[in-house]
Amino acid sequence: MDRIDAKAPTSAEVTHPGGPLRWLESQKNRLIVLSVLALMAMFLPLISNNYVLEVMTNVWFYVMLCLGLNIVVGYAGLLDLGYAAFFAVGAYTTGILTSHFGVNFWLTIPAAVFFSICAGVIIGGPTLRLRSDYLAIVTLGFGEIVRIIARNLEITGGASGLIGIEKPSLFGFEISQISHFYYVFLVLACLACFVSYRLQHSRLGRAWQYVREDEDAAEAMGIDRVAIKLYAYVIGAIFGGVAGCFFAAKMTAISPETFTFQQSVLILLGVVLGGMGKIPGVIIGAFALVLFPEVFRDLGSSRILVFAIVMLVIMLYRPEGIWPEKKS
Amino acid sequence: MSIQDILLQQLANGLILGSFYALVALGYTMVYGIIKLLNFAHGDLYMIGAFIGFLALSVLSPLIGDSWVGILCSMVLSMIAVGLLGVLIQRIAYQPMLTAPRLSILITALAVSMILSNGVMAFTDGEYLAFSTDLGYEGLELGNVFITYTQMVLVGAAALLMTGLYLFVHRTMYGKAMRAIAIDQDACRLMGIHVNRIIALTFFIGTSLAASAGIMAGTYYGSIHFFMGFVIGLKAFTAAVIGGIGSIPGAMLGGLLLGLLESFGTQIPFIGTEWKDVFSFGILILLLVFKPTGILGRTEIERM
Amino acid sequence: MIENHLIKKENQMRKTLMLSAIGGAVAGLFLCGQVMAADLKIGIMVPTTGSEATSGKDMENAIKLAAMEINDGGGVLGMQIETMTGDDACDPQQGTAAASKLVSADVAAVVGGYCSGATLPTLKIYGDANVPFVIAAANSTKLIDANMGNAYQINSTGFDQVATAVELFEKQGAQKIAVIHQGDGYSEDLAKLTRDKWTEMGKEVVAYEVVNKGEQDHSALVTRIKSKAPDAVFWTAYYADGALLIKQLRQAGYRNLIAVGDGSNSPKLLEIAGKAAEGVYCFSNPTVDYLPAAKDFHANYKKTFNQEPDAYAALAYDGMKLMADAINRAGSTDKDAIIKALGETTSFTGIAGPVSFTDKNTLARSNFVTLIAKDGKWMLNE
Repeated sequence: MDRIDAKAPTSAEVTHPGGPLRWLESQKNRLIVLSVLALMAMFLPLISNNYVLEVMTNVWFYVMLCLGLNIVVGYAGLLDLGYAAFFAVGAYTTGILTSHFGVNFWLTIPAAVFFSICAGVIIGGPTLRLRSDYLAIVTLGFGEIVRIIARNLEITGGASGLIGIEKPSLFGFEISQISHFYYVFLVLACLACFVSYRLQHSRLGRAWQYVREDEDAAEAMGIDRVAIKLYAYVIGAIFGGVAGCFFAAKMTAISPETFTFQQSVLILLGVVLGGMGKIPGVIIGAFALVLFPEVFRDLGSSRILVFAIVMLVIMLYRPEGIWPEKKS
Repeated sequence: MSIQDILLQQLANGLILGSFYALVALGYTMVYGIIKLLNFAHGDLYMIGAFIGFLALSVLSPLIGDSWVGILCSMVLSMIAVGLLGVLIQRIAYQPMLTAPRLSILITALAVSMILSNGVMAFTDGEYLAFSTDLGYEGLELGNVFITYTQMVLVGAAALLMTGLYLFVHRTMYGKAMRAIAIDQDACRLMGIHVNRIIALTFFIGTSLAASAGIMAGTYYGSIHFFMGFVIGLKAFTAAVIGGIGSIPGAMLGGLLLGLLESFGTQIPFIGTEWKDVFSFGILILLLVFKPTGILGRTEIERM
Repeated sequence: MIENHLIKKENQMRKTLMLSAIGGAVAGLFLCGQVMAADLKIGIMVPTTGSEATSGKDMENAIKLAAMEINDGGGVLGMQIETMTGDDACDPQQGTAAASKLVSADVAAVVGGYCSGATLPTLKIYGDANVPFVIAAANSTKLIDANMGNAYQINSTGFDQVATAVELFEKQGAQKIAVIHQGDGYSEDLAKLTRDKWTEMGKEVVAYEVVNKGEQDHSALVTRIKSKAPDAVFWTAYYADGALLIKQLRQAGYRNLIAVGDGSNSPKLLEIAGKAAEGVYCFSNPTVDYLPAAKDFHANYKKTFNQEPDAYAALAYDGMKLMADAINRAGSTDKDAIIKALGETTSFTGIAGPVSFTDKNTLARSNFVTLIAKDGKWMLNE
């Protein structure tokens, strides 16, 4: 990391004269850009067709997943190779409760949050004391275990999964069209951004950063590193779980094939490509993940190969990701 | 078949499977022992070994026929090629990362693994390739237990390779240097050991052992596929952890144990084949949580 | 300071580049989804990327060939057919995107559907848009429940395959069978149906097992199966792992009947399993090699695309022809009329045989055939 830090500007918020791009510097102008983007996102359904909406809904969905994983990987610095498991817990909670027990969709969300927390604690509790490379393998194993359980049980519909999950309704209005789901996922993504942002700048966020940079020093300063890591795990799990609920509602059908190791790796790619620990970076990563196969259809099957090469190059030359570092 | 026969047959199955696991686990353990790197790409190097072996065999077989000699030659070729690839990967991807945070190096290793497997996928269009060698089913029947000659040769070859490695590590100067670097790299450098060269040698040996397992698996099972390294990579890692990661006899022991565990596991009522992987991963997780040093590993206190 | 300033500028540049890249990508999407003027637009939904791309592209070719032939013969209702492909990549998420793309492009009808898992969530999208959909290959029984009335399956379903399989086992005098699947929706479905049917008949399923994808060594499973001494082993999943299993079963000295499902209907199975595959039975949907009516199609396909048609080419070709036939009978491109015409199909005969539908929109008459491996080739049994 040192060689990059040495080149980084000492005080970034100093404005430099000249340059047409200078105006992006100030907080106010950034807000302008942000609002323009937000307006674009909001009015997209009015000007585009269902295909664009479907793809963009998928983008917001991955934004949420990647932001969730970012809390574990980017903030707390723990490699999680089984994140799809939490996403599966949420999706199956909603699927089982609505289709087997007739529970209202909105009531399944707290249940999914509860089960995600349980899953986070079960896997995180005993293992967060481990070396980080062991942790990576444990999470990988955990992800596979969750998938196999979903595949083998009767209640989860076995390998074929669950079908006919009901679409939710809100105040008598049924969320069924893709444009409705677009807004639902947009709101979720914004919420995820907001929560991530607040977490990053909270006491907990600083503790994560401390533990990530120097675990022993953090512990010496009185930070309970295992508890701090567990928080990251559990919060990440909740993000995944909630995303899973809405995924189940949107797809109306879920099967274990969605929650493979490949899926976990894909989400991790989204986090790493744009820049671990940085919200804009993670969002760009999620965009790249979803848009790449749609835009470069011919390269679609080698998406993972292209991303993996980019990821290797990033790790070697710019470990902090594509999104520029903001140093203070 | 009586229950004794079944168990004896499962014992034989477990030993054969276990020798594959052990060969792959050795590479994990050697690399981990010397630079504390969990090489995610190791399973993929096993896969590459099988593909290079396939390539070599299809070039060689018109010249010398599908004989054992041809298989042996292509095995040696593939071991050398993959060993060099391992060294190259270490130089390009891992060497610059040795001082980086552990998270970065793990992600790098993951990226290398994905490049290798997806690269082969792009190259072969995701197709399964069939080895043309048909090794035949002749074998020895001991009571109701049946072992083919091919299986015996495989286990023999694995045992030979492992013995050779053990002797190399414990009887030669290079082996001594490897063991020394595993303990204290800086001190070794001060003592005039060419650390980088020894690390490269370790990579070479570890990956070429994986390649040997890969081509043996290819000829024995008859088909190869870009994804074949994933499952065995995980299993071999489990084996290395069971035996105590960093310990060479541990990896051999762990491989055989895991092989036996899996084949006897299918006979356990209620677990069956449906829950087999939950069973293996469960064991791995429990082991990591309660005895991360494995059976033969040393206890060490380490910064994370 | 100057250096800092430069880096700063570079950073800004990067941010701008990043934003424009995203903008460009979104704009690209718009272009992809744009509607182009055409007489009669028919959507093709198949996987053209991903693990099943080979089969998907093959189906796409066959459908395009059918469209070309129809156009050469004057088109449908005087209109020329233009096809548009949506790639589902054999993945549910990309499947919904592909379906939305086709629906957004306002296609009159859709032909395709290879992977059941990817086809399943698209049924809702096509159903909501009331688009007539002929499912050419996907045949999981789950599709029947999710069908909203606008989709028609022209490949026989799992039920038909199980009937064919059970008939064979009975004829060969089997009492105890072993069923093995691979833990995916398709093969599990088939395995469960077989198990239920066989036990319903008062016979015994001595082993019901699953093999994990990507594993090579099945010796422990083989020993377990052999110890139960089944009269027949039925592998319901795909050829690659099936070949390994067959090889290891024979190697371990299992001599009784082995049968494989339609997912294993590939010459690759014979290539990998070698002489161990001799005498193995395979249940297959009608492929061009065994269809006397497909001679012309076979020749045309080879001439046009310079390759051999794969397992589902015949059905995909029939799917397009059936759709054109239904539109002709409907007399308009009104979606309800086409759907109604599809349901009333009685006189259509494709290269894979006559087509008519049950009240569940599945093929009324099973078109499964039984093959046997002889001298390294699949042959029609009997």
